[in-house]
Amino acid sequence: MNKSKRIVITGLGTLNAIANNIPEFVRALQEGFCGIKAIDLFDTAEFRSKNGGQIKNFTARDYIPRDFSIKRMSRADMLSFAATLEALRDAGLYPLPDLIKGKMGVAIGGGSGGLWEAESFYIEILKKGVRKVKFSKLSSVYCASSADRIASSLGLMGPKTTFMTACSAGATAIGYARDLIVNDHASIMIAGGVEPMCRITYAAFNALKSVDPEVCRPFDKNRNGLSLGEAAAVMVLEPLDNALNRGAKIYGEILGYGVTCDSFHMTAPDEQASGAVRSMRAALKDSGLSIDNIDYINAHGTATTVNDVMETKAIKEVFGKRAYSIPVSSTKSMHAHTLGAAGALEGIVCVLSLQNGFIPPTINYRDEDPLCDLDYVTDGVRYTPLRTVLSNSFAFGGNNTTIIFGKYAEGGVGNG
Amino acid sequence: MDKNRRTHKEAKVVVTGVGMVTPLGIGKEEFGRRLFAGECAIDVIKAFDTSSFKSHLGAEVTDFVPRDFISVKNLRRMDRTSIMSTTAARLALDDAGIKINEENRDRVGIILGTSFGATDVTVQFAGTLLAEGPAFVNPILVPNTVMNAPAGHASIELGFRGVNTTVTHFAVSAETALAYAVEEIRRGTADFVLAGGVDILSKFYYEALTRFRSLSPLDGSKEACRPFDEARNGIVVGEGCGIVCLESWESAVARGRQPYCEIKGFGLGSSPTSPTAWPDDPAGMKQTINRALENAEIRARDIQAIYAAANGGKVLDAVEVEAYAEIFMDLEKQPSITSLKGALGESFSSGGIRACALALSMGKNIMPPTVGLIKPIKPLGFVAGDKREMRINNAILAGISFGGTYVYLVFANCDK
Repeated sequence: MNKSKRIVITGLGTLNAIANNIPEFVRALQEGFCGIKAIDLFDTAEFRSKNGGQIKNFTARDYIPRDFSIKRMSRADMLSFAATLEALRDAGLYPLPDLIKGKMGVAIGGGSGGLWEAESFYIEILKKGVRKVKFSKLSSVYCASSADRIASSLGLMGPKTTFMTACSAGATAIGYARDLIVNDHASIMIAGGVEPMCRITYAAFNALKSVDPEVCRPFDKNRNGLSLGEAAAVMVLEPLDNALNRGAKIYGEILGYGVTCDSFHMTAPDEQASGAVRSMRAALKDSGLSIDNIDYINAHGTATTVNDVMETKAIKEVFGKRAYSIPVSSTKSMHAHTLGAAGALEGIVCVLSLQNGFIPPTINYRDEDPLCDLDYVTDGVRYTPLRTVLSNSFAFGGNNTTIIFGKYAEGGVGNG
Repeated sequence: MDKNRRTHKEAKVVVTGVGMVTPLGIGKEEFGRRLFAGECAIDVIKAFDTSSFKSHLGAEVTDFVPRDFISVKNLRRMDRTSIMSTTAARLALDDAGIKINEENRDRVGIILGTSFGATDVTVQFAGTLLAEGPAFVNPILVPNTVMNAPAGHASIELGFRGVNTTVTHFAVSAETALAYAVEEIRRGTADFVLAGGVDILSKFYYEALTRFRSLSPLDGSKEACRPFDEARNGIVVGEGCGIVCLESWESAVARGRQPYCEIKGFGLGSSPTSPTAWPDDPAGMKQTINRALENAEIRARDIQAIYAAANGGKVLDAVEVEAYAEIFMDLEKQPSITSLKGALGESFSSGGIRACALALSMGKNIMPPTVGLIKPIKPLGFVAGDKREMRINNAILAGISFGGTYVYLVFANCDK
């Protein structure tokens, strides 16, 4: 294998419902901490559910130095920029050396973007009329704003892209970013996802009746829907030789990813699980690994009735008998479903699992479902060395992405 | 990593189909005829009342009967962006002579760019929620508020299940999708990838553009779109969808198809710019053009034609001209430059339609004129007044966005 084509992760940053930075996240994942609680960002009285995975105590200036203007940033922009700064510091790349800015880029999975701010803008229109409202308030409404603000704040001159495949966007952004480096379109990439909590998104999922009124219970017999959350999750990706040359800490390696489509229904997964099966197989093929190499699966595990059965079926089809001996957990039970950020946040979960040798649990689990009969790690965290982990992200529109991460070993996976 | 992965030196990616829904017509015959005849599709907007605005012009898609292209069952669930995209995707597949069946459907994918998505549906959904409350929102609208709806609907209607992704990055959304699709063919994740972009006109969106002071007539003189002209006074907004069908050269040969052209390479880049401003310096453009030339392994003097991004805006056109002047000025023979936005308006994800047009240009060896251009800012090789018949070996498709993001693709003739 060409050493220069191996892409590694050298920095991580996150804010989510159970942690406001990476060290907190490592602890919370092991403790099985539940961040799904009553939402206080807006009034939930008229909604079916009242709970969500909200980021607590976020004051942008605690995370973003005064060198950077946050005046026009949306909450999503600020969260993603804060996570980016943590990831850069973690990677030993802050302040950013001028020399690497030329081909350094950003790929972000988006979701609601500046919708939270757009809401107050729209309410103002309803009160005052459209002529009296300042449209400059909409300047951060679109998701691409976050990547733009990260890049322009840091002076980057590489590629910039935003993925909008709903719940698989964050995972696709990471896979895409890896390929940009492999194909020499970028030297270093900031890749991840951001999803802010907002009433419009909350209303949409409530209208579809896909939200559990209490807390989500992935793979549980009485699961009753997902819990919505918010998060920013960012990784620094670079070529292995670059990381080795500068003596960077190497968290892990991106081994492969696969993207497929259900071509079935806009909001419901294909119960035949074909799209999920093909995305896992595509990721395995891309990584050159066999089913025997996968030590842990970080499930999409939204806790909707259909997803969890479908995903279980897909894992069994791909892994055959081995499916029963691979631990599968849904950390959405802790940090909730963070939509556009989910793939990136759960990617970070995978990388932390690899680095620290633990399998995070599925919490809130009570009753066995005969249709979900795999090992969902419902008995708390497990400590075990891991070599490769697989993460699933399935989305509205039938967009499926699977990504595989490996622990860094000198000769490649399996040689370490 | 998958050992079958190929680099651009090994895989030649070609365009074998084009499909479009545009203000200049639907499908390549009508679109091509009117485009090369130098027709202008800009007129007073009819879809909504513009009397309260300072601008009244737009380029609207008219005489479009979706039932001619989409099944009634699926059509009911689609919004306007999805209808246009599904139609363009169908036309591109038909043009490429591809019939989706059980054998090939997992190897056909779509990568779509949209700058602003379904602005009509989003505003409707948010309006009901915020004015009337969560109990009144219509769940049917939800799937179409997400930007990946068009690609999802297209996959359901047409039945393809391969790679499926939606990207957004303002005015380079479609070009980004095209570049990603090229890599996916090179990477071998699909045999056929549909790629392009879609954006639509809607009243709130139009009003927002007037309030951001983007639209002609900024100087109060006559409202018109005049790319590269000294008298240009702002953008005229358009809409539409253009999708190309990409595959490998070997695949086209095996199927006995003569491709329109090859996409030989691309460059991605950015420059620090305020997120709502157009770049005021050509450095980022020049850097990214050079990256595209390097990726395509050609030199500036090998370029005969440029499909520019210029949209009649004060800043963009001047800076874009500067970039071409600096790169091509010393050459004996200047490349021919045209901008389609004088005829089609600025639809932001215009790169899909422009890619289709460039493919037709290269097939016919004709450059369409820049409608509205009378007195150029600089004496470059602009095509104005009438079409230009000329041999095009290599051409550039320029994607430039406010916020300072650039994507340049190199198209090459493959009938030599």
